[in-house]
Amino acid sequence: MRFIAGALVLLLFIWYLSFSAARLDRLHHRVETSWEHLDALLQRRAALALDISHQTDLDPATDFILLQSAYVSREEAIIDRNDAERSLSESLKFLRESARSGEVSISVRLLEELTALTEKITLAIAIHLEAVNSVAKLRSKPLYRLFHLAGKAKLPRIYSFEEDSLL
Amino acid sequence: MIERELRIGMVCPYGWDIPGGVQIHVRELAEHFIAQGHHVSVIAPVSDEDSITDPWLISAGRPVPIPFNGSVARVLFGPIAASRVRQWIVQGDFDLLHMHEPGIPSISLLACWAAEGAMVGTFHASTPKMRAIASVGPLIEPMIEKLSARIAVSEMAQATVSNLYGTEAVVIPNGIDTTRFRQSHVESSLRWQSGLRIGFLGRFEEARKGLPLLLEALPKILKSLPGVELIVAGPGDPSKVLAKMEPSIARQVKFLGRLSEEEKVQFLSSLNLYIAPNTGGESFGIILAEAMASGTPVLASDIPAFVDLLSVGDSGVSFASEDSGDLARKVVALLRDRPRLQQLAENGSKAAIRFDWGSVATQIMSVYEVAMTGHGRVAVGSENASWKKGRER
Repeated sequence: MRFIAGALVLLLFIWYLSFSAARLDRLHHRVETSWEHLDALLQRRAALALDISHQTDLDPATDFILLQSAYVSREEAIIDRNDAERSLSESLKFLRESARSGEVSISVRLLEELTALTEKITLAIAIHLEAVNSVAKLRSKPLYRLFHLAGKAKLPRIYSFEEDSLL
Repeated sequence: MIERELRIGMVCPYGWDIPGGVQIHVRELAEHFIAQGHHVSVIAPVSDEDSITDPWLISAGRPVPIPFNGSVARVLFGPIAASRVRQWIVQGDFDLLHMHEPGIPSISLLACWAAEGAMVGTFHASTPKMRAIASVGPLIEPMIEKLSARIAVSEMAQATVSNLYGTEAVVIPNGIDTTRFRQSHVESSLRWQSGLRIGFLGRFEEARKGLPLLLEALPKILKSLPGVELIVAGPGDPSKVLAKMEPSIARQVKFLGRLSEEEKVQFLSSLNLYIAPNTGGESFGIILAEAMASGTPVLASDIPAFVDLLSVGDSGVSFASEDSGDLARKVVALLRDRPRLQQLAENGSKAAIRFDWGSVATQIMSVYEVAMTGHGRVAVGSENASWKKGRER
């Protein structure tokens, strides 16, 4: 009788382990999909920055920052893109403020697209960070560490451009 | 020498409130020319306009922090800055404009864009390769071409100019006020009376400044010379550094925090040996010139900028960069060889004279003269000129 009870507890525990691993796996997957979504939006932002630079009569210093960071954002791997994304956030924010106060005239279409995209990116970052944090929280629990439930999956990282406020 | 007094406009691209190499260079050069009787006006981004006390300083607006080439640069761009720069040029009625670091996206570039006439540019940084320069090449190159003459502060900076923009620059070093450093000159015999002191100055939390390397070498140095004290000056939080050290070693390290210019002079002249363990990313190394001027022997890593600076007249010693063993050996050997240190100190103070503003500013004035040849007063280009004009949209 005691043996059966022991076996049951063990079975239950194994089931719980596999349940936990599946749960973590699902979260990892969510990090990946939310990142893909965010990355696609960032690529659109870089393209939009190039459009704005081409179609707006800007001073060369602003153009310099837009062109260079948009170029890096489109060409480089994410690990090397952090600075470029931060520059884009800062300079586009500056441009939107300048446009709002009428110091620079950006076409209405581009400005609307920029505003909409910025909102989407802010949301996508929040969703992505939430997924990253849940993974980190789960993976720091003893059970997950002891039984290597994360397998070989890398701990997702947070880039500093994601922490900047975009609005 | 031109006899008449000149109207000179200088443009500093970085936020004036936070001290940095370029800002200090601009300030001291401006003060030097003002003392000579010239009229100088400096325009710079300023965060706190109420803090301005110098009548020659004009604010172009508040700087924006932009990550650039691995660190955050406080620069200024945009339509308001552009029109303030334009207005400053018109009102200044200058004989000549001197842009500092015109290759970065800030007001120096804007001034280049707006102005027509005699213009000189000084390139301070050395960046082996700037990523994505191809994307902005068509934008910058015409601006750099508008400069009648280009100055690089070191061989390294010159190489950067020729790599990035395919153009040449004359090398004129950064200036220091050697008399200020010589005034507090402490005889080297006196420096030995109160124990052995080696020093480091810089933002020590940045790994490339090399403090970690020096701390790695310190136990080896103390094994041979137990009394050596390491004095660290510069902004940063020492507790993080101290926490990683053994207490017996940590006892020999003293942190002074950020120093004023006067305190820096005193700090340098209290040392038996100044150590520059930087691992790279330096274009000039003004602190080496300052140590030399104050009669303090210098031991520096063999990165190109430092080798270049110490190359004249046996004025300092190099160690293999990023090699704490070599660093420790050289420190011990030097501290045990007083006649050698004495000789280095003498050579150093002689060699430092070429960095004195007296000589540096004279060279810069010669460049101004070349640049002004054939030009009248500096004017602004037509109001709505876009840099894209003539390009396919």
